[in-house]
Amino acid sequence: MHPATPAPADEPTQHNGSLPAGGLNRRHLLRLLAGTAIAVPAAGLLAACGDDEPAVDPNAPVTVSFFWWGGEARAKLTEEALKLYTSKHKNVTITPTWQAFTGYYDKLATISAGGNAPDIFQLDDNGLAEYAGRNVTLDLSKYTASKKIDVSNHPESLTKYGQLGGKQVAIATGENTPAIIFDKTKLAELGVEAPQVGWTYDQIITWGAGITTKSGGKYWGLMDPSSDYKALWLWLRAQGKEFYDGPKIAFTEADLVAWFQLWVDARAKGATPPADVCHEAVTGSVATQLVVTKKAAVSFMWSNQLSEMQKATKNDLGMTAYPGDPKGQWARASTYWAASRTTKAPDVVADIINFLANDVEAGKILGVDRGLPNNLDVRKAVSDALTDQKMKDTVAFENEITPKFGPAPAPPPKGHSGLRNTLRDIAETVSYGKATPEAAAKQFFTEAASALA
Amino acid sequence: MALTTASRPALPVPAPAPPPARGRRKKNYASRRSEGLAGYVFLSPWLIGLMAITAFPMLLSLYLSFTNYDVLSSWEFVEWVGFDNYKKIFTLDPTFWQSVRVTLTFGLIAIPLKLAASLGVALLLNKERRGVGLFRGMFYLPSLLGGSVALALVWVAMFNREGAFNAGLSLFGIEGNNWINDPDWALSTLMVLTIWQFGAPMVIFLAGLKQVPTELYEAAQVDGASKTRQFFHITLPMLSPVIFFNLLLETINGFQGFTSAFVISNGTGGPLGSTKLYTLHIYDKAFTDFQMGYASALAWIFLAAIGLITIVFFSTGKFWVHYSDGEN
Repeated sequence: MHPATPAPADEPTQHNGSLPAGGLNRRHLLRLLAGTAIAVPAAGLLAACGDDEPAVDPNAPVTVSFFWWGGEARAKLTEEALKLYTSKHKNVTITPTWQAFTGYYDKLATISAGGNAPDIFQLDDNGLAEYAGRNVTLDLSKYTASKKIDVSNHPESLTKYGQLGGKQVAIATGENTPAIIFDKTKLAELGVEAPQVGWTYDQIITWGAGITTKSGGKYWGLMDPSSDYKALWLWLRAQGKEFYDGPKIAFTEADLVAWFQLWVDARAKGATPPADVCHEAVTGSVATQLVVTKKAAVSFMWSNQLSEMQKATKNDLGMTAYPGDPKGQWARASTYWAASRTTKAPDVVADIINFLANDVEAGKILGVDRGLPNNLDVRKAVSDALTDQKMKDTVAFENEITPKFGPAPAPPPKGHSGLRNTLRDIAETVSYGKATPEAAAKQFFTEAASALA
Repeated sequence: MALTTASRPALPVPAPAPPPARGRRKKNYASRRSEGLAGYVFLSPWLIGLMAITAFPMLLSLYLSFTNYDVLSSWEFVEWVGFDNYKKIFTLDPTFWQSVRVTLTFGLIAIPLKLAASLGVALLLNKERRGVGLFRGMFYLPSLLGGSVALALVWVAMFNREGAFNAGLSLFGIEGNNWINDPDWALSTLMVLTIWQFGAPMVIFLAGLKQVPTELYEAAQVDGASKTRQFFHITLPMLSPVIFFNLLLETINGFQGFTSAFVISNGTGGPLGSTKLYTLHIYDKAFTDFQMGYASALAWIFLAAIGLITIVFFSTGKFWVHYSDGEN
């Protein structure tokens, strides 16, 4: 547990970072431990007589480790939801650990390499193929088939976005989609209309240049998204193209040249700030976004980030789709729950994932922090109960755009997390004026070939 | 650290004993051996630590550098690839050359400047003046903060477009740059951060300066040598072992720098790879691209390079490092 997370005062056993199943005292605990010591080998013996599946006593005490990234607020929600689970399953103890996104994947990789992967952990689509492709994750297909993880009420595209090579390798924690977030207050100040769903790139660039002119040149219209893989991906999809085809790049060098050129022209028109200003926001972290630092009116983000961004600025923020045909957008898993292949309690792990995905009470606790709940009934219940205005806006936006979504692509392949850094660095050689779009695109394809090999 | 060995006591050499009787010599040998054993027993916590925490992982990483180990896959997928990683590094990795360039630029500029700054300040603080202790403390303070993340964050706040540095410049009517985010300047801000933390070598220089015998200066004064001459003909030669020590230490430390570059560039080594120190490249390969075998090869090349530089220092040392006890 994060040292800054205060332990609830009414639960003295909380300090070691585990969520015990109700009121355990030491004697109970000892008895439990003794029980486990006998029960585990016994279960093994029994299993040896039967089939490959160990016959696990559903009431045997089980400890499950649980790892995610996020801030304090998310930690509170997640721990509360897990506590709800352990209060219903007295034999299960969950050990939650969390940390900020920076360093999360380093730590996950290190402990997984040591063979101690957490039983349940959070992934995003950058990490999914890296972990599932290397067989770190538990195949959840049999649980979705037997409805132990019930996905029947989830949007199909969302379920598919957790599948790789025909296996259900992870379950979405919720749905989000890329969205541009803009500064309503500033737009009103300047007397400019808000951007709309379905605007073309030319429209938004002209609009952005207008903002820069009206503000006198020290405040810009748009962030330059040329180094952002998701912006490129949506731009491609809006034209009916794709980013990846299996493990290969699906677009051409000419596409990439056109993309870089689009933003070179936008900068020439004054719609986007100079490269050094854009570089401040290039890692995508909320705190450094140009909308938050009040340097540009539009940032290219994810739909579930509106509420978090709103907390970082006093100006009122709004949200709409990326420019271009909205069919470029898709119902994306904001993050996933994945399980470790080496977990000792796969059934319990599957049950916890199912609980987080389908239980209405758990859904109400978690809200839309990790995107809109997968289960449509839960989504409805959660939306009705929301109080945070920006979370409500997120839901309204998702509901508005969902009918316009295109089909979901497969999650990005192994090597993606390195490749998106390559795109970032190469796109910046163009925006800093050190390379032409043609030379940069050529360089990208050379490096992509070795990154995806 | 009595580095200037002017007053180093001679090692106690046991006087040659008269030829002892045979039995006695045997016993001596045995007891010496058991003494040696006891020594190793006392050393064992450290030895075990060295083996388990340093030697074993190092050798493992040497082995891994010849494999395609990717951190996450299980061991049965680890394949021996011979020198492929090394070949790829030298032929197919433009970022490798970029990071070598950045690291060398950083080292060749920041390390000499840091040593010059620490020596200069040490000379100023060597004189007993009122409040000299306070000043020593103040100059040492930045290096107490070490390569800390907080300090790197302060640096970002100071040197970006709206930062304190530019605010200062604007008082003189100069419009500052976006130092941290300008590929031509980002590395310089990093160097300034490194140079600013010159406290540790400064303290060592101070200790060295205290060891220079004052008679030498008195004699030089009698001979009419100017202050500059005294500096070049007395202070520098007498201090050369300390300079050598500091140079070696700062070179190794400087090349291993990671935290501030990582934090200032948000882990990107940007803008445009201008702060992509070699260590950042290793990190990227190991933890972003999951090419741990490749990263191990990078690390071993790095080790070899630092080793080579150290050898060069030691072999050139005899031409400019003067040990006053005349043994060297």
